[in-house]
Amino acid sequence: MGWFDLKIISRHFDVPEAKDLDYYERHGGYASARKAVRMDPAAIQAEVKTSNLRGRGGAGFPTGIKWGFVPKGAQTVYLVVNADESEPGTFKDRHILYWNPHSLVEGMIIAARALGVRNAYIYIRGEMLREHPVLQRAVDQAYAKGYLGERVFGSDFSVDITIYRGAGAYICGEETALLSSLEGGRGWPRLKPPFPAVKGLWGQPTIVNNVETLANLPWILENGGKAFADLGMGRSGGLRIVSVCGHVNRPGVYELPLTVTGRELIEDVCGGMKGGRKVKGVIPGGVSMPLLDTSELDVPFEFDALQTDERIREVEVQPGVKFDLGGGKTLRSMAGSGGVVVMDENTDMVSACWRILHFFADESCGQCTPCREGTGWLVRVVKRVDQGQGRPGDIELIASIADGIAGNTICALGDAAAWPTLAFLTKFRDEFEAKIRSSTFVAQQRAASEAALVGAP
Amino acid sequence: MTTKQLSPEIEARIQELWPRFPPQNVAKALCIPVLYLAQQQFGIVDDEVVDLVAARLDLPAAHVKGTATFYTMFNKQPVGRYHLQLCTNIACQITGAYDVLDRCKQRLGVGNHGTTTDGNVTLSEVECLAACGFGPVAQIAERGKPDIPLYFENLDVARMEKLLDALAEGRVPTELGS
Repeated sequence: MGWFDLKIISRHFDVPEAKDLDYYERHGGYASARKAVRMDPAAIQAEVKTSNLRGRGGAGFPTGIKWGFVPKGAQTVYLVVNADESEPGTFKDRHILYWNPHSLVEGMIIAARALGVRNAYIYIRGEMLREHPVLQRAVDQAYAKGYLGERVFGSDFSVDITIYRGAGAYICGEETALLSSLEGGRGWPRLKPPFPAVKGLWGQPTIVNNVETLANLPWILENGGKAFADLGMGRSGGLRIVSVCGHVNRPGVYELPLTVTGRELIEDVCGGMKGGRKVKGVIPGGVSMPLLDTSELDVPFEFDALQTDERIREVEVQPGVKFDLGGGKTLRSMAGSGGVVVMDENTDMVSACWRILHFFADESCGQCTPCREGTGWLVRVVKRVDQGQGRPGDIELIASIADGIAGNTICALGDAAAWPTLAFLTKFRDEFEAKIRSSTFVAQQRAASEAALVGAP
Repeated sequence: MTTKQLSPEIEARIQELWPRFPPQNVAKALCIPVLYLAQQQFGIVDDEVVDLVAARLDLPAAHVKGTATFYTMFNKQPVGRYHLQLCTNIACQITGAYDVLDRCKQRLGVGNHGTTTDGNVTLSEVECLAACGFGPVAQIAERGKPDIPLYFENLDVARMEKLLDALAEGRVPTELGS
């Protein structure tokens, strides 16, 4: 047995029958939910707190603590599943929804019991055309068996699950934007505080959790929070599902210990680089996260390690001037959504940076000026550098626009555009400089000044 | 006055979804699901469809239009019989999506969001489809038909040619999907 053989959620990936309730139940499924509906909600919450389960959507916030923010004695509490996976490079929730939909349904029953939820919603990404019917079928099967609806498993606990489809907007993966969309309008993020746990869907306390986060709950109740915590590392419990794409031999979705490093991921898990080429850069958790260069791949892909390990360079605004995350905190990288993008030595980093910015400019919801205007400026300046029209001073201009967006918007989309931009400049500045040096703009300027000199008396 | 009417299937679905939301919030919450169904029926979400949905849910047309125009999956402009949506985001970009896109543009004789003169295919460059391990990736929608639950993965120019051949023949190449 290899060091990454233990599986929690991905046990039955690639088994077609695993989508069926019967198969799931034959392999121990729904035993935890059956137990949970007769448990004291406080006991479930305590178990989840002990487990050190952290949100798998991107922020890595401890789930038990998030649940604890729901005001005591709240009458109506909603549970909303964030299945709006759209962070470029990330395709792991999609895999869970398709191959193991019942693990999500069971996790939702457990969470609903713990939080006193009567109505739960799954907000699934509109483009998940293949996953939506599979999930709907799983929910229908659970209803047919009496595992959802009135008096589930014959207990006095009742819960309904409704699937709600998004319609094409990256921003709806941001939890408050998701709630705005679920209420039936534009997906505009809201200012926090108040946090959704206090004032969320239709003004009521609402817990928004990621698919993978909830799919871990059956195992936690079956094996205990401590066992889950012991699987992890530091303050992070359990395993992590990562999706790996780009220039590796075996891209895919893997459930791994949190201790896995970038290098192990590429070499041991994904069978090395395509064509034996060298690695140039790795995005560790979706394109919002600062990328790593080849010297930074021995750090575990764990939430805290990627933020604090000194082997990862701090992101800079200008050479020698560190980017300030607020309160003097510096930025290295983050584990984000678990979407790993591996880029080989032939990758044009300016071009990659441009494509990422094109995405954020496209997906900005338009509410906050720094993000709406700033992402547009960023994409235009980086595009001209990429296309050989760069001007001296463009690198400083890009950095100053990015720095002006970060921290100045309602939601994190602005940061998500600024952070990777600054990381590209910090780690691959030479590529930007080279493109500017050889740009037609610079050549024309030079020719013009030489012509002026020749013509001078 | 419009001659369009929401189908009985949409009405049935509204009845089914209605009790799933709080009474004071349900009309607004159903805006997006009903827009989806209306698009499936009419192939477009234009002002006429917006008015129909607004009237049925008793919402201001401005709210329905504001919502419809916020989301990329609602077609505000007419689309061809097939809507080919190709991702060019980072994971697809670095595995060759722009070569595939250029070939599509060339063969179909259209730009981004353009429709072929025979009205058969609309080509759109889209953002990440969350199938990054197997890029470049595309999805296909057939106007006025149910969703096609397939991803067209690992596309290169040769595979895309086959896909376009099928669309030209008037069929969805399900054999290329996964």
